[in-house]
Amino acid sequence: MSDAELILDEEEELSLLETLDHVLDRGLVIAGEVTIAVADVDLVYLGLNVLLGSVETVNRVLGVREQRLEYLRGLKPGGEAARPEGEG
Amino acid sequence: MKRLYAYCVGDQLADEMLEGASGVAGAPLLLLRRGRLAVVASPFEGKAVPATRENVLEHSRVNGLVLAHTTPLPFRFGTLADEQRLGEHLEKNEDALVSALARVRGCVEMGAKVIWDAAAQSEAQGAAEDEGRAVEASAQGAGTEFLLAKQRALKGAEALKARAEEVAALVAAGVEGLARESSVEVNPSGSLVVRAAHLVERGREEEYRERLRALGAGRDDLRLMLSGPWPPYSFSAPSA
Repeated sequence: MSDAELILDEEEELSLLETLDHVLDRGLVIAGEVTIAVADVDLVYLGLNVLLGSVETVNRVLGVREQRLEYLRGLKPGGEAARPEGEG
Repeated sequence: MKRLYAYCVGDQLADEMLEGASGVAGAPLLLLRRGRLAVVASPFEGKAVPATRENVLEHSRVNGLVLAHTTPLPFRFGTLADEQRLGEHLEKNEDALVSALARVRGCVEMGAKVIWDAAAQSEAQGAAEDEGRAVEASAQGAGTEFLLAKQRALKGAEALKARAEEVAALVAAGVEGLARESSVEVNPSGSLVVRAAHLVERGREEEYRERLRALGAGRDDLRLMLSGPWPPYSFSAPSA
């Protein structure tokens, strides 16, 4: 796997982890009615902590994203900011 | 009794918003209506929802579909209830849920996470104090040195907390006049130092991104992760 592919995977992971962070930890609840397989959740939380704990990984992914944005801005004559990718 | 998996609740939901879409485990989506409210739900077989990547993404995707039309209150992943219980919940909490929906109407949630290297922040703080330490240590005995070390550790933690609060204040200043509401957690000892969610009017998402990026640009020691638009997961609890 090339570096570029690896970084894209990591970016997808960050996007997934942002989703997990929102849907597992927040949102409306009906008392006593959130029923999830707990072992799985422990695993995804572990993933979240490991990934966010790795500042190097985050720096690398965001650094590449910024470089791409800079590049895209350079292509636009008006210098208008390009929309970021992989967010949301 | 039919078991339903619940995605979100709204007071402006319509069947057309869900056309052609399916939910967790490929189940068809439906609207359960009670009074002024409706819940987006799908039938679910089983006692618990496995927190797999696929299911989590399905939950998020369905709420994203609704968000494209109106701002709902999203349920937390894994909300399962009997149809009757879900209906009773809506009837019992109708006023509170309608108020909560009014609070988020016309808005989306945007997220900003700030990441730093807590160890490096501590070291930077420590280096600034080294000079003072050298002078103290030369004149003290072992017991006093122990107490001084404890005092320094305490001071270090306080300084780190102050730095973290400063980062949170930076983010707050960045969204001033832009965020209708904020939900902010500050954690000085972790790498995720600030986890902020902001309720932002639709159409101002790009302004939000630009303003926060501008803040982050001058701080090489901080990394900013922006996300959104989300349904208001952090602003869904009806106020007491």
